[in-house]
Formats: sequence, C-alpha cells, structure tokens
Amino acid sequence: MSDTSERITLSVNGISQEVTTAPSRSLLEVLREDLALTGAKEGCGVGVCGACSVLVDGKLMSSCIVPVGMVQGRAVTTVEGLAAEDGTLTPVQTAFMECGGFQCGICTPGQVVAATALLRECPDPAAEEVREWMTGNLCRCTGYYSIVAAVLQAAKAGQGESD
Amino acid sequence: MSPALNPGAAPLSRRAVGDAVDRVRGTFTFAVDRRIEGTLHAVAVRSVAPHGRITSIDAADALAVPGVVAVIDGSHVAADDGISPWYGENRADQPVLAIGKVRYVGEPVALVIADSRATAEAAAAQVWVDIEELPHVVDPVLAGAPDAPQLHDEWPNNDSGTWTLVHGDAERAMATAAHVHTATYTSPAQNHVPMEPHSATGAWLPDGSLEVWTGTQSPYVVRQRLATMFRLDPDRVRVRGDSLGGAFGSKIDLRLEGLVALASRAVGAPVRMELRRDEVFQSASKHAATVTMTTGVDEDGLLVARIIDIVWNSGAYALQTPRSSRTGMIRSPGPYRIPHVLARSVARYTNTVPTGPFRGAMTGQVCWAHESAADEIAAELGVDPVEWRRRNLLRDGDAFATGDVMHEMHYVDLLTAVDDALTADAPPTSSTRTRTRRRGRGVAAVLKTTRTPTRSEAQVQVDAEGQVAVRTSAVEMGQGAAASLAEMAARRLDMPAEDVSVSWPDTGWTPFDQTTSSSRTTFATGLAVERAASDLRACIAQQVAQPWGITPDQVVHRDGCVSSPGDPAQRMTYADVVRSSGAGELVGTGRYETPPGAGRLDPETSQGNVSVHFHQGVVGVEVEVDTETGRVHVLRAHGATYAGRLIDAERARKQIEGGMLFGLGQAVMEETLYEAGQMINPNLSDYQIPSLLDVPLTSSTVLSDADPDAEPHGIGESTVPPMAPAVANAVHDAVGVRIRDLPVTAEKVLRALREKQADDRKN
Ligand code: FES
Ligand code: FES
Repeated sequence: MSDTSERITLSVNGISQEVTTAPSRSLLEVLREDLALTGAKEGCGVGVCGACSVLVDGKLMSSCIVPVGMVQGRAVTTVEGLAAEDGTLTPVQTAFMECGGFQCGICTPGQVVAATALLRECPDPAAEEVREWMTGNLCRCTGYYSIVAAVLQAAKAGQGESD
Repeated sequence: MSPALNPGAAPLSRRAVGDAVDRVRGTFTFAVDRRIEGTLHAVAVRSVAPHGRITSIDAADALAVPGVVAVIDGSHVAADDGISPWYGENRADQPVLAIGKVRYVGEPVALVIADSRATAEAAAAQVWVDIEELPHVVDPVLAGAPDAPQLHDEWPNNDSGTWTLVHGDAERAMATAAHVHTATYTSPAQNHVPMEPHSATGAWLPDGSLEVWTGTQSPYVVRQRLATMFRLDPDRVRVRGDSLGGAFGSKIDLRLEGLVALASRAVGAPVRMELRRDEVFQSASKHAATVTMTTGVDEDGLLVARIIDIVWNSGAYALQTPRSSRTGMIRSPGPYRIPHVLARSVARYTNTVPTGPFRGAMTGQVCWAHESAADEIAAELGVDPVEWRRRNLLRDGDAFATGDVMHEMHYVDLLTAVDDALTADAPPTSSTRTRTRRRGRGVAAVLKTTRTPTRSEAQVQVDAEGQVAVRTSAVEMGQGAAASLAEMAARRLDMPAEDVSVSWPDTGWTPFDQTTSSSRTTFATGLAVERAASDLRACIAQQVAQPWGITPDQVVHRDGCVSSPGDPAQRMTYADVVRSSGAGELVGTGRYETPPGAGRLDPETSQGNVSVHFHQGVVGVEVEVDTETGRVHVLRAHGATYAGRLIDAERARKQIEGGMLFGLGQAVMEETLYEAGQMINPNLSDYQIPSLLDVPLTSSTVLSDADPDAEPHGIGESTVPPMAPAVANAVHDAVGVRIRDLPVTAEKVLRALREKQADDRKN
C-alpha cells in the first residue's frame, strides 16, 4: 500500500475499535472490509448517493469520502447501531417498514440514517424540508414517494418520544 | 484447491417480513455483502485504449507489492488447455480476459489477486500494459462503412446481427398512402445504474468442481457459461445467488463469474471481486440506436404501411445482441394495426462498452420512434394524438406485424384511463409560473413481447414442522418476486403467505429457471410454483383420503389444515399429515413451458407466433418547459398497464410508478458520453439519475382479469419505455418544438426554441 499503516481507535456503535490501516482509506471501506459492518453500502464512492451514510459524533456524513484517519477518537454510528439491543426498531425503521419505503432495499440503510439525522435536527419537518434533506440519498427503485411518506410518518410517530 | 464456500446442502431461505426487518436494520445480506472466510481479492487491470493490440504486459512491479499473490492475463488463459475463454449467448466472441487485442476502454486485460482489495487495487495501478493503438469507431452507423475499423476478424462489417421482418408488401402499400411521414429518432447509450455494484466469489473445490456465489439475474445461464468455459459437466458447477440491490438487466449472463473462477483456478483459493462504480459503467450498457421510420396513412388517418430501419450499437461484443436486436425490431412497429410492415435491423460492433438488456430491453429505442412519430403524424393530419391512437391501436382479433392474432388487448382502455387522469386531475399549481413557463401534455403507448420460448421449474415442500418452502431459481432484486411467489403458493395451499418461505437460487439445489428478466418471473416461474403447490396439495389430500374413507377431491383444505367434510373429528394440520406419512417431507413439483412452436419465427420474414402474451403499457405526462432555460420539468405522470391475473395490487402500483421515474431518467437526463473513444462520465456526479427533486406526482391504473385461471403478466417494464416519447410529445404540446434525439435536455430544447423563433420571424 502506498501510505503507511497507523493505529486508529474509534468508537463504532458504542464499541471501541482499533484498526491498523492506512489513514487515507475510506471509513466506508474500513467498516465493510475490516469491521464486517456491511450495512453502509458503496453506491457511488464519490459522496453523491448517500448509500454510505453514517453519523460521526451525531452528524450525517458520507463515509465513502471520510478518510478513516479523520475519525480517530470519534464516535461513529452506522445503521446497525440504530435499533435497540433487543432488536426494537426506531420510529424511522418502523416507518420505513410500514410505508414500504423500499423495493430492493440497498439504499435503505442510507435513507434510514439520513432520516434519523434529519429528525434529530428537526423533529417535525414539513414535506418540503424532508424532500430537500433527503435529496442526497439516491434510489433507483422506488420513485421516492414511499421514502418521503416514511420520513413524515416517523416524524409523527416520534413526537413526544424523548431521544 | 479450496474448501467449499459454504458447507451444507440447503440454501438459505427467506420470509418477506423477516427480510424487511433486516433491510431497515442494515443486517440484510445482499450479494455485495456476502463474505466467505479465507477469500483473496481480485481487481481488474483495464484497457485505457479503445482499440489496439496488446504488445506487452509487465506485472513485475505489481507482483513485488506485499500481499499480491498472482497476476494473470490473456496469455495465461490462452495457454491453458482447460479453458475455452470465449463466450457469448449467440456467438463466442468475447474473451474472459483480453487475448492479444483490446476493443474498448475498460476491457479487463489482467487480474491482480491479493490478500485485500486495497492491495489489489494499489498493485493493479502498477501493471504496465503496452498497447499499439488501432483506429477506433464508436458510432454504429460509421461502423458499417466499408473502410471502418474492424473489431472482429470472424465477423466482417462489424455485423453483430442482421434481421428483417416482412409483413404484407409495405413498399407497394406505401405508394398508395394518402399521407406519408418519415423521420429519424436516436437514443443514446445509457447505464442501468443498479445502486448495488456487481460482485462475485468463486472457488474450486477439492473434487475439481466449481462453486460461485454471485449477484446474478440468471444463475442457470451463468452455470452453462462456466461449464463451457471450464469444460465441466454443468452438474459440476454450482451457482448460488443472493438478493440483488437492483439489476435492471445489467446482471444477466456472465459478468464477473468467469473472472473469479479464473482467478481462483490460478491461486487455489476462493477469490472475490466487487466493482467500483466506474467499472459498473464500463461493464454493461443499453444499446444506442438510430431508428428511421416511414409511415403511410389513408385519408382517415388509418395506418396502411410502415417501413423501419434500425441500427443498433452492439458495443465491442455481441453477448445477446444477435438475438435481442431481432426482438427489438419485432416490437418496432408499435401496438398498432398496420397491414403492411417492413423492418430491417442491423447491429454493429463499435469500440464502446458491451451492451446488454436494459429494463424493457430493446423497446425504449423503438418506442421512442413510433410514439414520437404517432404525435407527429396526428399533428400533420390535424387530429388529436389520443384520438389518432384510439383509431389505430391493436384490438382483439387484429393481426400484429408478426401475423399473431391478438387477444387480451386492452390498449384503448389503458389509453382512456391515462387520458381521463390527465384531464380530470386539476393541474398542480406552481407559484413560480410565469410568462416564460409553458405547460403541455403528452401520451405514449408500448408493446412488449415476453420471453418466448421459456421454461421454469419449481418445487413446493412441507416438512414435519409444517414449514412450507418454495424452491425456485428466481432472483429477488427489488421487484418483489419472493413475496409474489410465496403468495401464489400459499393461495393454492390455502394457508397464510407469511408461513411460506422462498429459496434463494442455488443451482445445486433449486430447479431450473431460465432467467429473472423480461418481466417473466410472476408469469413463468409463478405458474410453475402454482402447479407445484397444487401438486403438493393433491399429495396431502391423497395421504388422508383413504384413512378417512373419502376421495382426495372431497378433502377440505383450510388455513394450513385438511379436514373431512362429513366428520369434524377428522382434521389434521399439514405438519400432522407429514408426520403420519412417515416421510420427512412431502414435495410437489411443477413446471411451466411455453407451448411447442411458440417463439419460432420465419428466419427471413420474422412471421410466426412471437410471444405467449403481450405486455401493454400507456403513460401520460404533463410537463412545464422554461422557455428561457429550456429546462423540462415533468409535473405529473400517470401510468397504466394490463396485469392479466393480478397477484398484488400494491406491488403492481409500485412497479408502475417506480418504472415511470426510471423512464424519466432516460427521457431527460441520462446518457453515457464518449470522447476519443473513452467514456467521459462513468460516475454518478457526471451521469445523473433522477433524485427526489425530479419526482413528479404520479398515479397509476392497473387493469386485470378476475379469472383465477388467467395468466399473470409481468408489469415491471411496461411504463419505462413510453416515458421518453410521452415527455417529448408533451414538450411539443407546450412549446411547439420536436426533439428527436434523446435525452430531452435543456440545451436541446433551448436550441430548438431559438431555431423556431428564427423561423417564425422569417415567415
Ligand atoms: S457511496 Fe458514499 S455517497 Fe455514494
Ligand atoms: S430501493 Fe432499490 S435503490 Fe432504493
């Protein structure tokens, strides 16, 4: 490999992890290849499709364009880290299921993470705000209607719930 | 030799609900998520020249990279007696790795195999390939010129398939027509852009058999190709699949499977490959096409003759083109009653990415022509385009251009549904509507044949726990195949669909299915599953009838139980029946095959029975055109299709509406661009697909047949091809300019508007 490996520690879904790798490698690749967390997907590799969405210290990021060296010491949440340990789904996940917010479902992890970030920032978004925010998440199957519906339903369901 | 990729015989199976939970949790395993212990990773070194002779390949630097295990190229392949490296559906013209020559930018020239993908990628950049460049050609029309660069010595004139269709005497009839219209319509190469890239893992087992896990739409085709390539009995090749994250035709036939098998053979360990997005763009393309259509009508506007000339861009290799170009030609007259048709089709090799089927394969290109022409003809006749179609659309008893006498024709009703929806709905209000924005409406119809001949097999079994499992080789790729098949089996067995699981394809274990494409699964695989479930139902009845002293057809099936009508005490669950039978499980088998002779066409005239039924779709759109920028905004779209026997209304709606958005990309934005023989936009920032901001309001109509024995029709493709011509027709309605070259981009509309203004001033 062209650049030398470093020891990088980060927290992933609340578990502290240590990887020895080139710091320039993408966070996405490290998650998928080194940590066996395949929930985040590579759709484009250049930050335009949202399939690789994760939260870094609570902020929405495209992990395909985040060098793993940049998340040294930070907390990464992937789609696998959203549901409760006992398997209880979050309101966003439940809404995607109930609204049928996917067909093939490959974009769904990214959609779910992006919607989660939106509702944390803005718990009661208007449909227009949902559309605007979710534009960065491409889907080739659904035509998007059910995705918007799912986010709005999740917002409704999440009202009164403390995070 | 390496250990089995996954020990144990049984494939995984799934249930729709459990799958959905995994999908939203991110724990669902797509093909690209499949990981097998102990695999090495391969990355392709690809040609940077569009056409040339390979003079040397120097892998020394790559081999020196720590972690690299091997580098193989075409010379190794050619020297290996155990390999027939050339493949293709109709003619074996494509090498698994380039041998001696490259024919497009992106063609795999060598494979680097290493302990990680990152290492293999880094080392691939250090394989030095020298290519002596040859003149190249990317335009299929130019590729037919006598002095054009020739791609394949064995296939002169770059001919990748030549066909004709002769129905009546079109030339003579044309001379008698009251009015003749002619125009040429072009559509570009486009990419399928499944959000999931291609991936595969291959391994040779100690007994010399080959096992491949792959994200494919056609496991049995892949098995056949690998068997031929590696000179094995097909039973010695096991192809296993997972659910796909979209495919749209890009994962049909051999893709990465030959490469991973080759790599595994070279290193004696399982090898995995996964494509980057630019490599996906370099692996498969829609056929670009130029269609010239001449149409004659009588005084009443009724069609009398049509003459069609099509040139397809086959890309560098044939794959399915020699067959599929004929299918496209057959669909080119459109869903109209035309007494005389002459169609001529030629596909030409060019130095571009090899082509393959693309959702609604080979239909978008010809639908673009006949539906744009329909509006142009209507306009010249001064007739409303909907009315003109109504007069000419196929009805029951009419003959299609192949001579097929049509049945179950619903075009007029579909058109009426679309027209009503467009006129009845209040147009959405736009606060930004100004003098410079104009609205227009357009419709388009499509006819698609289904894969004929075709064959599917299925098994349905119940075990001593009462677990019912459907075994087929159908592939789930987002179209809802698994849920539909579970439902079809459950209905025949009178039990809840939630209790039925459906297998993933595994040629070692699941029965033959031709392919998951061409919208054939619900129909062909579905009928096989229904027959297998009926067979199982009969087998269960047989088990209890005699002890109960009744005949098998008197046995009542309900909620996964059987009972005797006269005696409420005689009641057993399916699980009880299996247990009392002494067998571990009861199995029903079923098979669907198109009737003998179906799909056989005259080689010269293409007359015959082309399809067991026809997919019918009509789309209508309303657009807003900004006359200052040329930008076309599709405000709403209504799609209508005929489903035959409808399996699930909600899934049908999603397919129709999702299909229209897919078609919208082809209509207004998608095109792979070449410069100097190289694709210049193989990424999702330069090649844009529809995003949330492009979404119109959509609605749909599904017509269906209530008869429980009616054939189900596939519906996943019927609203894709008509989107582009519907949009172009709506643009014409809005601003009076006609775009005949896809996609309908803002620049083209603006240029046409300027030309029109200049013309208007002159007159
Ligand atoms: S893969 Fe990261 S944004 Fe597309
Ligand atoms: S559901 Fe297939 S890409 Fe979104």
